[in-house]
Amino acid sequence: MTMANLIYPWVLISVHVKLDRPVIAPGHGCTPGGVVMKIHEKILTHYLSCTSPVDKEGYLYKKRERNTTYLCRWFVLKGNLLFYQERPGDRILLGVIVLEGCLVQACETDGQFCFSLVFTGPVLRTYRLAADDHLSQESWIGALFCASHFYLSMIVRDLERRYEEARRDKGLCDSIQTSAVTSTPNKIMASWNTGQPYFLHGTSIVPRDGRSYSTSSVPPPSMPNRPISYSLHAPPIQFKTTNKRSPKLWPKTNAHVTPLNGPAPSFGKWPVVGFDPLEEFSKMHEYYGNEIKQLRADWLRKKRE
Amino acid sequence: MRFNEKELVFLSRQPSERAAELGMRGPKKGDVVKRRVVKLIVNFLFYFRTDEDEPIGALLLEQCRVEREDDQVFSIVFLDEAERKYLFECDSQEQCVEWIDAIVKASYEFMRKNLIYYRTEIHRLTGKDPLEQYGISDETRFQVNSGLPPLPPAAT
Repeated sequence: MTMANLIYPWVLISVHVKLDRPVIAPGHGCTPGGVVMKIHEKILTHYLSCTSPVDKEGYLYKKRERNTTYLCRWFVLKGNLLFYQERPGDRILLGVIVLEGCLVQACETDGQFCFSLVFTGPVLRTYRLAADDHLSQESWIGALFCASHFYLSMIVRDLERRYEEARRDKGLCDSIQTSAVTSTPNKIMASWNTGQPYFLHGTSIVPRDGRSYSTSSVPPPSMPNRPISYSLHAPPIQFKTTNKRSPKLWPKTNAHVTPLNGPAPSFGKWPVVGFDPLEEFSKMHEYYGNEIKQLRADWLRKKRE
Repeated sequence: MRFNEKELVFLSRQPSERAAELGMRGPKKGDVVKRRVVKLIVNFLFYFRTDEDEPIGALLLEQCRVEREDDQVFSIVFLDEAERKYLFECDSQEQCVEWIDAIVKASYEFMRKNLIYYRTEIHRLTGKDPLEQYGISDETRFQVNSGLPPLPPAAT
């Protein structure tokens, strides 16, 4: 790999072909020269099709790379990913653009309502897109501008600071530990990373797949005022206390859930809630509990109809 | 499916939230543990052969479940399928815990929820929408999801 020191990375991509890698395979990049990085297509398509909200979708024209023609494509923006396909509802995805490291610019060179995604990497790749009208162009530019993970993380950092300021101004006790490193995984945060965000459970509220739940005789954690919403997720992180086993075997997850009656988990840099849950859990419970009540009411109403 | 591979490879070379050499095992039967350099950047987990600069692959850390499998081992399950369970062997309990923490917090959806929470709370405490100054208060992606009832009046 010493060649990497001598030539530019983008050149390396086209000349450095490892013999034990497939040249082209599904879910791999279509880079001429054959170097492939696996993107795990199914994980992406699952994210696209799951019930978390789509940030924007609609028809746009996309300029072909080696051609001057624009083709009409159905675009779906979710998180920091821009997917495109021929038509809405198509099962085949034509492609995805990961929106990190790019600028979004209106450009009128190709005509009206055009805009570009200009990537700032060594290749300076530019995707040229065009909307049907000015409103759509503005709307897409606005949505793409704030789509990156990097952007989101900056905003969250800022809001976290302002939240703490607002709380201080209100004279509210702030018991957040601000140290960045946690010694134990934050169980509350862990449950947020899984499955569908429960904000959007429009269907029946059932516990998620029971596989992850405790199979031991230890009862599930009972926390005072534990919000109903926790049962909608895979539970907090579990770990076994068995003897060391070879990781080569697939360990049955015979875990017991760490009891939450113990010491309060310490918070890391990104607390889901900015307060000590044991102190103000009833607040959080009420907040999310209201949402659940609303969803249930909607669901029951729909059921009756 | 096409994707902007070169740009992703470029991204994989940027400073990461976390990077380490770990034992990594794929989901298929017969997959064995291999030493890989694993790098967490935005909501992707890139993995490299230990002597290479180009990543072999990138795992999108959305819609996945991260679990502690053992003292020093954690897993990531995608699509709720055991067939898509990746194992990662760390060198210490502490490292294992830190990785789990970092991966959970790296998810776009996780961060979005935090943002919405802070936005709502700041609005409740101050009467102001903190996103207005950025000009993004109307963006769909930052809206409190529909169905959420208005918060009770701010506590004193």
